[in-house]
Amino acid sequence: MNVLILGGNGMLGPWAVKAMKERHDILLTDINEPYPEYKGEYQKLSADDVDGVVKAAEGMDVIVNLSVLRPDRQFAFDVNMMGNYAMMVAAREHRIKRVITTGPHYQMAGQQYEEWDFDLIPDMPPAPGTRLYAHTKALGQEICRVFSARHGIQLITLLYYNMKHSWNLGGPEAPPVYHDDMVPYSTAWQDCGTAVQAAVEVPEERLATRSETFFILPDLPHGKFNNEKTKRVLGWVPRYHVEGLWNKEYRQPDSNLTEAF
Amino acid sequence: MNLLITSAASATAQLIAAALGEKHTLRLTDLSRKASGDIVSNELGHGSETDDLLAGIDTVINIGYQGQSGSAAHLMDYHTRRMYNLLQAASDAGIARYINVSTLRLYEDHEENLVVTEKWRTDPSAEDTELLAAHMAEYVCKEFARDRLIQVANLRLGWPFDGTGVGETAAISSDLIGAAVEEALISEELGQWQDIHVQSPVARQRFITKTAATLLPGLAGRLSS
Repeated sequence: MNVLILGGNGMLGPWAVKAMKERHDILLTDINEPYPEYKGEYQKLSADDVDGVVKAAEGMDVIVNLSVLRPDRQFAFDVNMMGNYAMMVAAREHRIKRVITTGPHYQMAGQQYEEWDFDLIPDMPPAPGTRLYAHTKALGQEICRVFSARHGIQLITLLYYNMKHSWNLGGPEAPPVYHDDMVPYSTAWQDCGTAVQAAVEVPEERLATRSETFFILPDLPHGKFNNEKTKRVLGWVPRYHVEGLWNKEYRQPDSNLTEAF
Repeated sequence: MNLLITSAASATAQLIAAALGEKHTLRLTDLSRKASGDIVSNELGHGSETDDLLAGIDTVINIGYQGQSGSAAHLMDYHTRRMYNLLQAASDAGIARYINVSTLRLYEDHEENLVVTEKWRTDPSAEDTELLAAHMAEYVCKEFARDRLIQVANLRLGWPFDGTGVGETAAISSDLIGAAVEEALISEELGQWQDIHVQSPVARQRFITKTAATLLPGLAGRLSS
Protein backbone atom coordinates (compact mmCIF):
# COMPACT_ATOMS: atom_id res chain seq x y z
CA MET A 1 0.00 0.00 0.00
CA ASN A 2 0.97 3.63 -0.39
CA VAL A 3 1.21 5.11 3.08
CA LEU A 4 1.55 8.80 3.89
CA ILE A 5 3.00 9.46 7.34
CA LEU A 6 2.57 12.90 8.88
CA GLY A 7 4.84 13.95 11.70
CA GLY A 8 7.14 11.05 10.98
CA ASN A 9 10.27 12.44 12.61
CA GLY A 10 9.04 12.27 16.16
CA MET A 11 9.77 9.50 18.61
CA LEU A 12 7.25 7.03 17.21
CA GLY A 13 7.87 7.63 13.52
CA PRO A 14 11.14 5.71 13.14
CA TRP A 15 9.62 2.65 14.82
CA ALA A 16 6.56 2.78 12.59
CA VAL A 17 8.79 3.10 9.54
CA LYS A 18 10.94 0.20 10.71
CA ALA A 19 7.85 -1.98 11.05
CA MET A 20 6.44 -1.09 7.63
CA LYS A 21 9.24 -0.16 5.26
CA GLU A 22 9.64 -3.60 3.70
CA ARG A 23 5.89 -4.08 3.35
CA HIS A 24 4.59 -0.74 2.06
CA ASP A 25 5.60 2.30 0.04
CA ILE A 26 6.02 5.10 2.51
CA LEU A 27 6.08 8.85 1.99
CA LEU A 28 7.44 10.24 5.23
CA THR A 29 6.72 13.89 6.05
CA ASP A 30 7.60 16.15 8.93
CA ILE A 31 8.19 19.82 9.64
CA ASN A 32 11.83 19.00 10.48
CA GLU A 33 14.63 17.54 8.41
CA PRO A 34 14.70 13.74 8.22
CA TYR A 35 17.00 11.60 10.29
CA PRO A 36 20.24 11.00 8.33
CA GLU A 37 19.66 7.26 8.65
CA TYR A 38 16.33 7.44 6.81
CA LYS A 39 16.74 6.53 3.15
CA GLY A 40 13.17 6.53 1.86
CA GLU A 41 10.85 9.08 0.26
CA TYR A 42 10.67 12.26 2.26
CA GLN A 43 8.87 15.58 2.06
CA LYS A 44 9.17 18.50 4.42
CA LEU A 45 5.61 19.34 5.44
CA SER A 46 3.82 20.68 8.47
CA ALA A 47 0.86 18.52 9.45
CA ASP A 48 -1.42 21.56 9.79
CA ASP A 49 -0.75 22.75 6.24
CA VAL A 50 -4.10 21.74 4.79
CA ASP A 51 -3.23 22.36 1.15
CA GLY A 52 0.16 20.70 1.53
CA VAL A 53 -1.29 17.60 3.17
CA VAL A 54 -3.99 17.35 0.50
CA LYS A 55 -1.31 17.47 -2.17
CA ALA A 56 0.93 14.95 -0.45
CA ALA A 57 -1.99 12.55 -0.01
CA GLU A 58 -2.65 12.15 -3.71
CA GLY A 59 -2.36 8.49 -4.68
CA MET A 60 -2.19 7.27 -1.10
CA ASP A 61 -4.12 4.35 0.33
CA VAL A 62 -3.66 5.21 3.99
CA ILE A 63 -2.69 8.30 5.95
CA VAL A 64 -0.99 7.90 9.33
CA ASN A 65 -0.78 10.95 11.55
CA LEU A 66 1.97 10.69 14.17
CA SER A 67 2.40 14.42 14.68
CA VAL A 68 2.58 15.72 18.23
CA LEU A 69 3.37 19.00 19.89
CA ARG A 70 2.73 19.43 23.56
CA PRO A 71 4.04 22.41 25.47
CA ASP A 72 3.13 25.47 23.42
CA ARG A 73 -0.53 26.38 23.30
CA GLN A 74 -0.55 27.75 19.75
CA PHE A 75 1.46 24.85 18.33
CA ALA A 76 -0.50 22.28 20.29
CA PHE A 77 -3.75 23.39 18.69
CA ASP A 78 -2.16 23.80 15.26
CA VAL A 79 -0.56 20.38 15.19
CA ASN A 80 -2.72 18.19 17.39
CA MET A 81 -6.05 19.50 16.15
CA MET A 82 -5.53 21.13 12.76
CA GLY A 83 -3.19 18.32 11.75
CA ASN A 84 -6.09 15.90 11.99
CA TYR A 85 -8.37 18.36 10.22
CA ALA A 86 -5.88 18.53 7.35
CA MET A 87 -5.62 14.75 7.25
CA MET A 88 -9.39 14.32 7.05
CA VAL A 89 -9.81 16.96 4.37
CA ALA A 90 -7.12 15.15 2.37
CA ALA A 91 -8.82 11.80 2.89
CA ARG A 92 -12.12 13.24 1.74
CA GLU A 93 -10.59 14.93 -1.31
CA HIS A 94 -8.81 11.79 -2.51
CA ARG A 95 -11.39 9.27 -1.26
CA ILE A 96 -8.79 7.60 0.92
CA LYS A 97 -10.53 4.87 2.83
CA ARG A 98 -8.41 4.60 5.96
CA VAL A 99 -6.72 7.04 8.28
CA ILE A 100 -4.80 6.29 11.44
CA THR A 101 -4.28 8.80 14.16
CA THR A 102 -2.28 8.48 17.34
CA GLY A 103 -2.26 10.14 20.71
CA PRO A 104 -1.98 9.78 24.45
CA HIS A 105 -4.31 7.56 26.47
CA TYR A 106 -5.80 10.51 28.27
CA GLN A 107 -7.28 12.08 25.20
CA MET A 108 -9.89 9.45 25.99
CA ALA A 109 -9.22 8.17 29.49
CA GLY A 110 -8.74 11.44 31.32
CA GLN A 111 -8.25 11.87 35.02
CA GLN A 112 -11.85 11.07 35.86
CA TYR A 113 -11.28 7.58 34.52
CA GLU A 114 -7.65 6.95 35.34
CA GLU A 115 -7.75 8.04 38.94
CA TRP A 116 -10.93 6.14 39.76
CA ASP A 117 -11.40 3.04 37.66
CA PHE A 118 -9.86 -0.22 36.48
CA ASP A 119 -10.25 -2.40 33.43
CA LEU A 120 -10.46 0.69 31.25
CA ILE A 121 -11.34 -0.12 27.66
CA PRO A 122 -10.86 1.95 24.51
CA ASP A 123 -14.57 2.15 23.71
CA MET A 124 -15.40 4.56 26.52
CA PRO A 125 -16.69 8.05 25.69
CA PRO A 126 -13.73 10.44 25.61
CA ALA A 127 -13.28 12.53 28.74
CA PRO A 128 -10.00 14.34 28.18
CA GLY A 129 -10.49 17.32 30.46
CA THR A 130 -8.53 20.51 29.96
CA ARG A 131 -4.87 19.49 30.11
CA LEU A 132 -3.45 20.98 26.95
CA TYR A 133 -2.01 17.85 25.35
CA ALA A 134 -5.00 15.64 26.11
CA HIS A 135 -7.48 18.33 25.19
CA THR A 136 -5.98 19.25 21.84
CA LYS A 137 -5.51 15.65 20.84
CA ALA A 138 -9.10 14.90 21.79
CA LEU A 139 -10.30 17.79 19.64
CA GLY A 140 -8.33 16.32 16.76
CA GLN A 141 -9.91 12.93 17.28
CA GLU A 142 -13.37 14.47 17.43
CA ILE A 143 -12.80 16.12 14.06
CA CYS A 144 -11.77 12.74 12.70
CA ARG A 145 -14.90 11.16 14.14
CA VAL A 146 -17.18 13.71 12.48
CA PHE A 147 -15.51 13.29 9.10
CA SER A 148 -15.55 9.52 9.49
CA ALA A 149 -19.27 9.53 10.27
CA ARG A 150 -20.05 11.79 7.34
CA HIS A 151 -17.79 10.32 4.70
CA GLY A 152 -17.37 6.70 5.71
CA ILE A 153 -13.63 7.05 6.15
CA GLN A 154 -12.28 4.27 8.34
CA LEU A 155 -10.72 5.89 11.39
CA ILE A 156 -8.33 3.95 13.60
CA THR A 157 -7.03 5.68 16.70
CA LEU A 158 -4.02 4.24 18.51
CA LEU A 159 -3.52 5.46 22.06
CA TYR A 160 -0.22 5.22 23.89
CA TYR A 161 0.97 6.26 27.31
CA ASN A 162 4.49 5.41 28.40
CA MET A 163 7.02 4.26 25.83
CA LYS A 164 10.10 2.30 26.86
CA HIS A 165 13.35 1.28 25.28
CA SER A 166 13.43 -2.48 25.09
CA TRP A 167 17.11 -2.67 26.02
CA ASN A 168 16.94 -0.95 29.40
CA LEU A 169 13.25 -0.13 29.95
CA GLY A 170 14.09 3.54 30.19
CA GLY A 171 12.08 6.24 28.53
CA PRO A 172 13.13 9.00 26.21
CA GLU A 173 12.86 11.64 28.91
CA ALA A 174 13.79 9.76 32.06
CA PRO A 175 16.29 7.15 33.19
CA PRO A 176 15.03 3.65 33.83
CA VAL A 177 13.54 2.83 37.23
CA TYR A 178 13.23 -0.87 37.89
CA HIS A 179 11.05 -2.84 40.28
CA ASP A 180 9.05 0.18 41.32
CA ASP A 181 5.61 1.73 40.91
CA MET A 182 5.51 1.88 37.13
CA VAL A 183 3.01 3.47 34.79
CA PRO A 184 0.59 0.58 34.26
CA TYR A 185 0.46 1.28 30.53
CA SER A 186 4.05 0.97 29.32
CA THR A 187 5.00 -0.28 25.90
CA ALA A 188 8.29 -0.97 24.16
CA TRP A 189 9.04 1.25 21.19
CA GLN A 190 9.25 -1.68 18.81
CA ASP A 191 5.76 -2.74 19.76
CA CYS A 192 4.50 0.81 19.39
CA GLY A 193 5.71 0.65 15.80
CA THR A 194 4.24 -2.74 14.99
CA ALA A 195 0.87 -1.50 16.26
CA VAL A 196 0.90 1.10 13.47
CA GLN A 197 1.69 -1.65 10.98
CA ALA A 198 -1.19 -3.72 12.37
CA ALA A 199 -3.57 -0.80 12.01
CA VAL A 200 -2.52 -0.22 8.41
CA GLU A 201 -2.99 -3.87 7.53
CA VAL A 202 -6.01 -4.99 9.56
CA PRO A 203 -8.76 -6.23 7.21
CA GLU A 204 -11.77 -3.96 7.09
CA GLU A 205 -14.14 -6.78 8.01
CA ARG A 206 -12.52 -7.08 11.43
CA LEU A 207 -13.42 -3.52 12.33
CA ALA A 208 -16.87 -3.29 13.87
CA THR A 209 -17.47 0.39 13.14
CA ARG A 210 -16.01 3.15 11.01
CA SER A 211 -14.25 4.58 14.06
CA GLU A 212 -12.25 2.21 16.24
CA THR A 213 -9.84 3.03 19.03
CA PHE A 214 -7.16 0.85 20.58
CA PHE A 215 -5.01 0.92 23.70
CA ILE A 216 -1.48 -0.11 22.76
CA LEU A 217 0.04 -1.87 25.71
CA PRO A 218 1.30 -5.38 26.43
CA ASP A 219 -0.22 -7.74 28.97
CA LEU A 220 0.39 -6.10 32.32
CA PRO A 221 -0.81 -7.44 35.66
CA HIS A 222 -2.22 -4.24 37.12
CA GLY A 223 -5.69 -4.57 35.61
CA LYS A 224 -5.83 -0.84 34.96
CA PHE A 225 -6.02 -0.71 31.18
CA ASN A 226 -7.40 -3.47 28.99
CA ASN A 227 -5.65 -4.49 25.76
CA GLU A 228 -7.94 -7.38 24.81
CA LYS A 229 -9.55 -5.58 21.89
CA THR A 230 -6.19 -4.57 20.48
CA LYS A 231 -4.92 -8.12 20.36
CA ARG A 232 -8.21 -9.59 19.14
CA VAL A 233 -9.05 -7.07 16.42
CA LEU A 234 -5.68 -5.85 15.23
CA GLY A 235 -4.00 -9.19 15.76
CA TRP A 236 -1.20 -7.25 17.40
CA VAL A 237 1.23 -9.37 19.38
CA PRO A 238 3.59 -7.38 21.60
CA ARG A 239 7.06 -8.81 21.83
CA TYR A 240 8.07 -7.06 25.04
CA HIS A 241 6.23 -7.18 28.33
CA VAL A 242 8.51 -4.86 30.33
CA GLU A 243 8.65 -7.34 33.19
CA GLY A 244 11.62 -5.69 34.83
CA LEU A 245 9.31 -2.83 35.72
CA TRP A 246 6.66 -4.84 37.51
CA ASN A 247 8.69 -7.68 39.09
CA LYS A 248 10.80 -7.26 42.20
CA GLU A 249 14.53 -7.81 41.96
CA TYR A 250 15.68 -11.28 41.10
CA ARG A 251 16.40 -13.08 44.31
CA GLN A 252 17.46 -16.46 45.61
CA PRO A 253 14.57 -18.28 47.37
CA ASP A 254 15.09 -18.94 51.08
CA SER A 255 14.89 -22.65 50.43
CA ASN A 256 17.70 -22.19 47.97
CA LEU A 257 15.68 -24.40 45.67
CA THR A 258 12.25 -23.30 44.52
CA GLU A 259 9.14 -21.51 45.74
CA ALA A 260 6.81 -23.74 43.77
CA PHE A 261 5.73 -25.83 46.78
CA MET B 1 -23.91 42.23 36.40
CA ASN B 2 -20.73 42.91 34.51
CA LEU B 3 -20.89 40.94 31.31
CA LEU B 4 -18.37 40.20 28.60
CA ILE B 5 -19.81 39.52 25.15
CA THR B 6 -17.47 38.05 22.53
CA SER B 7 -17.64 38.34 18.74
CA ALA B 8 -19.38 41.58 19.51
CA ALA B 9 -19.47 42.80 15.92
CA SER B 10 -21.68 39.88 14.92
CA ALA B 11 -25.42 40.17 14.47
CA THR B 12 -26.07 37.69 17.28
CA ALA B 13 -23.93 39.58 19.75
CA GLN B 14 -25.49 42.90 18.78
CA LEU B 15 -28.92 41.49 19.33
CA ILE B 16 -28.00 40.15 22.77
CA ALA B 17 -26.21 43.34 23.75
CA ALA B 18 -29.29 45.38 22.86
CA ALA B 19 -31.42 43.14 25.05
CA LEU B 20 -29.10 43.22 28.07
CA GLY B 21 -27.66 46.71 27.86
CA GLU B 22 -30.18 48.46 30.07
CA LYS B 23 -29.89 46.12 33.04
CA HIS B 24 -26.22 45.19 32.90
CA THR B 25 -22.82 46.68 32.33
CA LEU B 26 -21.47 45.31 29.09
CA ARG B 27 -17.93 44.86 27.86
CA LEU B 28 -17.95 44.07 24.18
CA THR B 29 -14.98 42.46 22.49
CA ASP B 30 -13.95 41.13 19.12
CA LEU B 31 -10.81 40.46 17.12
CA SER B 32 -8.89 43.55 16.07
CA ARG B 33 -9.98 43.33 12.45
CA LYS B 34 -13.61 43.60 13.49
CA ALA B 35 -13.48 45.80 16.55
CA SER B 36 -14.59 49.42 16.32
CA GLY B 37 -16.47 51.95 18.43
CA ASP B 38 -17.38 50.49 21.81
CA ILE B 39 -15.93 47.10 20.96
CA VAL B 40 -12.65 46.32 22.70
CA SER B 41 -10.09 44.75 20.42
CA ASN B 42 -8.71 41.48 21.75
CA GLU B 43 -7.18 38.48 20.01
CA LEU B 44 -8.04 36.07 22.84
CA GLY B 45 -4.46 34.92 23.01
CA HIS B 46 -2.93 33.04 25.91
CA GLY B 47 -1.14 36.05 27.32
CA SER B 48 -2.18 38.56 29.93
CA GLU B 49 -4.36 40.54 27.53
CA THR B 50 -7.12 37.98 27.88
CA ASP B 51 -6.77 38.06 31.66
CA ASP B 52 -7.12 41.82 31.54
CA LEU B 53 -10.20 41.55 29.38
CA LEU B 54 -11.92 39.52 32.08
CA ALA B 55 -11.07 41.76 35.03
CA GLY B 56 -14.22 42.50 36.98
CA ILE B 57 -16.46 40.37 34.77
CA ASP B 58 -19.20 38.26 36.39
CA THR B 59 -20.31 36.20 33.40
CA VAL B 60 -19.03 35.59 29.89
CA ILE B 61 -21.46 35.40 26.99
CA ASN B 62 -19.67 33.72 24.11
CA ILE B 63 -21.03 33.65 20.60
CA GLY B 64 -20.26 30.07 19.68
CA TYR B 65 -21.90 30.08 16.27
CA GLN B 66 -21.68 32.61 13.45
CA GLY B 67 -19.81 35.10 15.56
CA GLN B 68 -16.88 34.96 13.18
CA SER B 69 -16.33 34.66 9.46
CA GLY B 70 -13.38 33.70 7.33
CA SER B 71 -11.43 30.64 6.29
CA ALA B 72 -11.97 27.19 7.68
CA ALA B 73 -8.64 27.42 9.46
CA HIS B 74 -9.65 30.69 11.13
CA LEU B 75 -13.04 29.40 12.23
CA MET B 76 -11.57 26.23 13.67
CA ASP B 77 -8.81 28.13 15.43
CA TYR B 78 -11.16 30.73 16.87
CA HIS B 79 -13.65 28.22 18.21
CA THR B 80 -11.07 25.94 19.79
CA ARG B 81 -7.77 27.56 20.70
CA ARG B 82 -9.15 31.01 21.44
CA MET B 83 -12.09 29.50 23.33
CA TYR B 84 -9.61 27.49 25.36
CA ASN B 85 -7.69 30.66 26.16
CA LEU B 86 -10.86 32.52 27.12
CA LEU B 87 -12.18 29.71 29.28
CA GLN B 88 -8.83 29.23 30.98
CA ALA B 89 -8.59 32.93 31.75
CA ALA B 90 -12.20 33.01 32.93
CA SER B 91 -11.71 30.07 35.26
CA ASP B 92 -8.44 31.56 36.54
CA ALA B 93 -10.35 34.76 37.29
CA GLY B 94 -12.92 32.85 39.29
CA ILE B 95 -15.77 33.62 36.92
CA ALA B 96 -18.53 31.24 37.83
CA ARG B 97 -20.62 31.05 34.69
CA TYR B 98 -20.04 31.01 30.96
CA ILE B 99 -22.91 31.14 28.51
CA ASN B 100 -22.12 29.61 25.14
CA VAL B 101 -24.56 30.67 22.44
CA SER B 102 -24.73 27.75 20.05
CA THR B 103 -27.24 26.53 17.50
CA LEU B 104 -29.88 23.88 17.04
CA ARG B 105 -28.62 23.53 13.49
CA LEU B 106 -26.30 20.91 14.97
CA TYR B 107 -29.35 18.65 14.65
CA GLU B 108 -30.58 19.89 11.30
CA ASP B 109 -29.98 16.57 9.53
CA HIS B 110 -32.33 14.77 11.89
CA GLU B 111 -35.79 14.27 10.46
CA GLU B 112 -38.36 16.72 11.67
CA ASN B 113 -40.65 14.10 13.15
CA LEU B 114 -38.03 13.04 15.70
CA VAL B 115 -38.42 14.34 19.24
CA VAL B 116 -34.94 15.81 19.46
CA THR B 117 -34.06 17.04 22.93
CA GLU B 118 -30.94 17.87 24.90
CA LYS B 119 -30.47 14.13 25.42
CA TRP B 120 -29.70 13.61 21.73
CA ARG B 121 -26.15 13.66 20.42
CA THR B 122 -25.43 16.45 17.99
CA ASP B 123 -24.58 15.51 14.43
CA PRO B 124 -22.60 18.33 12.84
CA SER B 125 -21.73 18.49 9.19
CA ALA B 126 -18.09 18.07 8.25
CA GLU B 127 -18.63 20.31 5.23
CA ASP B 128 -20.19 23.34 6.90
CA THR B 129 -17.21 24.68 8.80
CA GLU B 130 -19.35 27.14 10.78
CA LEU B 131 -21.31 24.21 12.16
CA LEU B 132 -18.26 22.06 12.74
CA ALA B 133 -16.63 24.97 14.56
CA ALA B 134 -19.74 25.46 16.71
CA HIS B 135 -19.56 21.79 17.62
CA MET B 136 -15.90 22.09 18.53
CA ALA B 137 -16.59 25.16 20.67
CA GLU B 138 -19.14 23.13 22.61
CA TYR B 139 -16.54 20.38 23.05
CA VAL B 140 -14.00 22.80 24.52
CA CYS B 141 -16.60 24.30 26.86
CA LYS B 142 -17.76 20.91 28.07
CA GLU B 143 -14.27 19.85 29.12
CA PHE B 144 -13.87 22.96 31.24
CA ALA B 145 -17.19 22.17 32.87
CA ARG B 146 -16.19 18.54 33.28
CA ASP B 147 -13.06 19.61 35.14
CA ARG B 148 -15.31 21.86 37.26
CA LEU B 149 -13.34 24.93 36.37
CA ILE B 150 -16.42 26.88 35.31
CA GLN B 151 -20.15 26.34 34.89
CA VAL B 152 -21.30 26.40 31.28
CA ALA B 153 -24.82 27.04 30.05
CA ASN B 154 -24.92 25.92 26.43
CA LEU B 155 -27.84 27.65 24.74
CA ARG B 156 -28.67 26.09 21.41
CA LEU B 157 -30.84 28.59 19.60
CA GLY B 158 -33.27 27.92 16.80
CA TRP B 159 -32.94 29.32 13.31
CA PRO B 160 -33.51 31.54 11.49
CA PHE B 161 -33.76 34.54 13.75
CA ASP B 162 -37.14 36.24 13.41
CA GLY B 163 -38.14 33.86 10.67
CA THR B 164 -41.83 33.76 9.86
CA GLY B 165 -41.80 31.86 6.62
CA VAL B 166 -43.50 28.59 5.90
CA GLY B 167 -41.27 25.69 6.85
CA GLU B 168 -39.20 27.71 9.30
CA THR B 169 -40.12 25.30 12.02
CA ALA B 170 -37.09 26.02 14.20
CA ALA B 171 -37.35 29.81 14.12
CA ILE B 172 -36.62 31.97 17.13
CA SER B 173 -37.54 35.58 17.74
CA SER B 174 -34.99 38.18 18.69
CA ASP B 175 -36.77 39.01 21.89
CA LEU B 176 -36.76 35.36 22.95
CA ILE B 177 -33.01 35.20 22.37
CA GLY B 178 -32.44 38.16 24.64
CA ALA B 179 -34.80 36.80 27.26
CA ALA B 180 -33.18 33.36 27.18
CA VAL B 181 -29.71 34.79 27.74
CA GLU B 182 -31.04 37.02 30.54
CA GLU B 183 -32.59 34.00 32.23
CA ALA B 184 -29.44 31.94 31.79
CA LEU B 185 -27.55 34.65 33.66
CA ILE B 186 -29.66 34.31 36.77
CA SER B 187 -31.04 30.79 36.83
CA GLU B 188 -30.10 28.78 39.91
CA GLU B 189 -31.23 25.53 38.36
CA LEU B 190 -28.35 24.88 36.01
CA GLY B 191 -25.93 21.96 36.13
CA GLN B 192 -22.20 22.26 35.73
CA TRP B 193 -22.70 21.61 32.01
CA GLN B 194 -26.17 22.49 30.87
CA ASP B 195 -27.54 22.17 27.38
CA ILE B 196 -30.72 24.18 26.80
CA HIS B 197 -32.67 24.25 23.55
CA VAL B 198 -34.61 27.39 22.77
CA GLN B 199 -36.91 28.21 19.89
CA SER B 200 -40.12 30.12 19.46
CA PRO B 201 -43.53 28.51 19.47
CA VAL B 202 -44.28 28.27 15.76
CA ALA B 203 -46.43 26.11 13.57
CA ARG B 204 -45.11 22.54 13.46
CA GLN B 205 -42.47 23.48 16.04
CA ARG B 206 -39.39 21.36 15.42
CA PHE B 207 -37.68 21.23 18.83
CA ILE B 208 -39.41 20.90 22.15
CA THR B 209 -38.34 23.40 24.79
CA LYS B 210 -39.30 21.64 27.99
CA THR B 211 -35.83 21.98 29.51
CA ALA B 212 -35.80 25.71 28.86
CA ALA B 213 -39.22 26.08 30.45
CA THR B 214 -38.03 24.18 33.51
CA LEU B 215 -34.62 25.75 34.00
CA LEU B 216 -35.41 29.25 32.77
CA PRO B 217 -38.77 29.87 34.43
CA GLY B 218 -38.78 33.50 33.41
CA LEU B 219 -39.49 32.33 29.89
CA ALA B 220 -42.87 30.97 30.97
CA GLY B 221 -45.50 31.98 28.50
CA ARG B 222 -42.98 32.60 25.74
CA LEU B 223 -42.36 28.94 24.98
CA SER B 224 -44.76 26.33 23.74
CA SER B 225 -46.54 24.48 26.47
